[in-house]
Amino acid sequence: MASVGFTAFAILFLIGMVGIFLWQSLPVWQQEGWSYLTGERWFFRQLEFGILPMIYGSLAVALIALGFSVPIGVGAAIFAAEILHPRLRVPLKIAVELLAGVPSVVYGLLGILFLRDWIYSILTPFDPLSGDTLLTAGLLLGMMVLPTIMTLSDDALRGVPTGYRQAARGLGLTRAEVIFSAIFPQAWRGILAAVLLGFGRALGETIAVFLVVGRQDNVLPEHWFSLRPLIEAGQTLTSKLGGAETHIAYSDPLHWAAIVGLGLVLLAIVAGITWLAAWLMRAKEVSDAPGI
Amino acid sequence: MNTKAFTPAETCSTTEAAPKRPVLECQNLSVFAGSKCILREISLSIAENQVFGMVGPSGAGKSTLLRAFNRLIDLQPNFRIEGTIRLNGNDIYERSVDPDQLRSRVGMLFQQPVVFPASIEDNVLFGLRHHRKLSRSEKATEVESALRSAALWDEVKERLKESALRLSVGQQQRLCLARTLAVNPEIILMDEPTSALDARSTESIEQLIVELKKQRTIVLVTHNLGQARRVTDWIACLCPSKESGSGQLLESACCDSFFESPTCRTVFRQIPDDELLPPA
Amino acid sequence: MRRVFDRFLTGLTALCALIGVSIILMIVAAVVWRGGGAISWDFLTDQIRLVGASGGIFYNILGTLILLVTALAVSAPFAFGIALTHGVFLRKTRSRERLMMWIYVLNGVPSILLGLLGFIVFVLFLGWGKSWLTGGILLGMMMVPTVAVSLSERIQALPSRYLDAAAGLGLTESQRIWSVILPQSFGGWVTGSLLGLARAAGETAPIMFTATIFAGATLPTGIKENPVLSLPYHIFILAQDSFDPATGEKLWGAALVLLLLVFSLSLAALPLRLHLHEEAKTS
Repeated sequence: MASVGFTAFAILFLIGMVGIFLWQSLPVWQQEGWSYLTGERWFFRQLEFGILPMIYGSLAVALIALGFSVPIGVGAAIFAAEILHPRLRVPLKIAVELLAGVPSVVYGLLGILFLRDWIYSILTPFDPLSGDTLLTAGLLLGMMVLPTIMTLSDDALRGVPTGYRQAARGLGLTRAEVIFSAIFPQAWRGILAAVLLGFGRALGETIAVFLVVGRQDNVLPEHWFSLRPLIEAGQTLTSKLGGAETHIAYSDPLHWAAIVGLGLVLLAIVAGITWLAAWLMRAKEVSDAPGI
Repeated sequence: MNTKAFTPAETCSTTEAAPKRPVLECQNLSVFAGSKCILREISLSIAENQVFGMVGPSGAGKSTLLRAFNRLIDLQPNFRIEGTIRLNGNDIYERSVDPDQLRSRVGMLFQQPVVFPASIEDNVLFGLRHHRKLSRSEKATEVESALRSAALWDEVKERLKESALRLSVGQQQRLCLARTLAVNPEIILMDEPTSALDARSTESIEQLIVELKKQRTIVLVTHNLGQARRVTDWIACLCPSKESGSGQLLESACCDSFFESPTCRTVFRQIPDDELLPPA
Repeated sequence: MRRVFDRFLTGLTALCALIGVSIILMIVAAVVWRGGGAISWDFLTDQIRLVGASGGIFYNILGTLILLVTALAVSAPFAFGIALTHGVFLRKTRSRERLMMWIYVLNGVPSILLGLLGFIVFVLFLGWGKSWLTGGILLGMMMVPTVAVSLSERIQALPSRYLDAAAGLGLTESQRIWSVILPQSFGGWVTGSLLGLARAAGETAPIMFTATIFAGATLPTGIKENPVLSLPYHIFILAQDSFDPATGEKLWGAALVLLLLVFSLSLAALPLRLHLHEEAKTS
């Protein structure tokens, strides 16, 4: 029936995307092979394409975002699901959903106008060049991802049947003890999935990051654990894709392949994370307690 | 017609459930959910080492009353109390009372057994370990003692580390009882503990109740009049009033005389006689 | 001691919730403060002049609306197809789960990649140049998971007695779908679409290579080489240059308009969602 046809198309859409990206980026895989992924230099005029700095940039920015949004998001979700008076739950949910809907370009604008200067002033002891840094992008992303983590964690916590709360409190446990001993062990999968989805979203965000990350190529830490690059301008997979090079790259097949390759790598990473999150959300304990 | 399977409760010598000092009592208790009145001016006294039964049609507020006794209704947002509830003479709704501590002295068994997805051992200790620190040997002792009191030890002693979800429903309910007993409450509130169970499990729980009352006090809500007859010493009957729908105390009498009382006969005439028979 | 920890946790989590709420309030406050002054009837009905330094955003709003309507039309058949396949045609739980996982993954695809794909397929291969239709198609595909999930949940929530009654009267599966399932689940399509449109309205990345330009377009006259203006792209371009003060307020004004559009779409879905939620709880 037509339904199945449309469904099949939607599924093939994803596969088609991977296929097309693979096809279009073939030259760079043939030319560079693995050094495309591990190479540290991207100089398109010399046709040198190594994307490690961009992978670093994307990961750094996304992890900063999680560092900000996970504690606050999960904390707020605990508050909303377990502590808050039910009458206030709906207004809070509305507020969070609206926050989730704010377009990335508006976040970008706010980042430019407020966050950028604020970071610049904070970093003055370190002698920064500007307020556009990986840190700035990370914090901005943190605010963008916060509502996602909050809503999904809230769903995970609410998914635990109330019978457990009643039984635990009936035994004399305090509310905090109920949350940690009775609720968390059942909700942790959903919360982890929420974090993963937030991570995926942070990795895939383009516009806001583009505006405040500085768009400086070839930024990598000297040592494994050096935090220096975080306060410098950097580049992520998405900020490169959203930039001018994508428009001009088509004139050179290798350059074009390198650009599409970025898309392929990004797709692989984000799809993998999202798939993992989806898998977590559907794997359940053998039997939930009957009829609570 | 009705043969009692167990030792019959002693014939009443008094007209009050707790002539001397009641271990649990409520005076003019009314419970409201928002603007709706669930219970209106209930006064009851419950004596020590007694099985105090509460019967009545659905909607009379029996479960609500039970939850008022261990302040579990605090968890529901719009509930309001008027009147007093006293545990050993002390008002449990006073500001200085810690509800969590209260609940370790007044335990509860629910209709549906709520078993945590953990081992049998962990389930038994679940409440106790939050109240005090236990050494490994203490843990083992407590687990065995609680499971023995719940008549479950022999069936699970070989598999304490296994998941509790594997137990049958009847076993799960006894596990919940063991868990409650581990906390060592003076009073155990039971909200229709056997209505989800088969006849055999029901029988074992009923035997446990009679056994337990020697050291504790049990307040039992039941729909099954036969069970009430077999197990309780004193019965209170709650019934929704015709005008307002809120629960009211209709009759409170010692077990034997209760069933002769004309008031409750009227209330229960819709309930078929075979409910009064002991399980096959 | 246990009490202390309990109080501490309550306070800590309350703080987190407060931070979350403050962020949204600050965002709205900032945009209103900066952009409120630009809003006027002229602003909304005039076209861009002087590279955004004066004039209005009429054609930007129009362009965004054109994209949204197209996206709505494109997403509908896919969403229905998926929801029906999931809810009706697939019997085994495993297949249903697999389908849902695919949908989740599709939902997680970064929008820039949709733009890249669109660029390759529509601009390079098909040679359409920048076209409003491309933008609509891409935004529509982006919306599909949101609409499909909302619809699917609604279908699942349908009380089985309706279907039983229809089957009992002898209706075929196809008739049951058209006469019972679709009409009853229509609300799910509406809420899902509103939420999807709210997201699509604010997206820049899918359309910036494929559908939109900064200035010079009004109404499209065909498909090929017919870009539109759009609100998010307008804001994006102006935001990049250290803009001069003349454009400043208008830039924020455009941001405010976009924000209002997105919020209205989101909030419009709310009453219906609350109603459906209540219905599901009581049935």
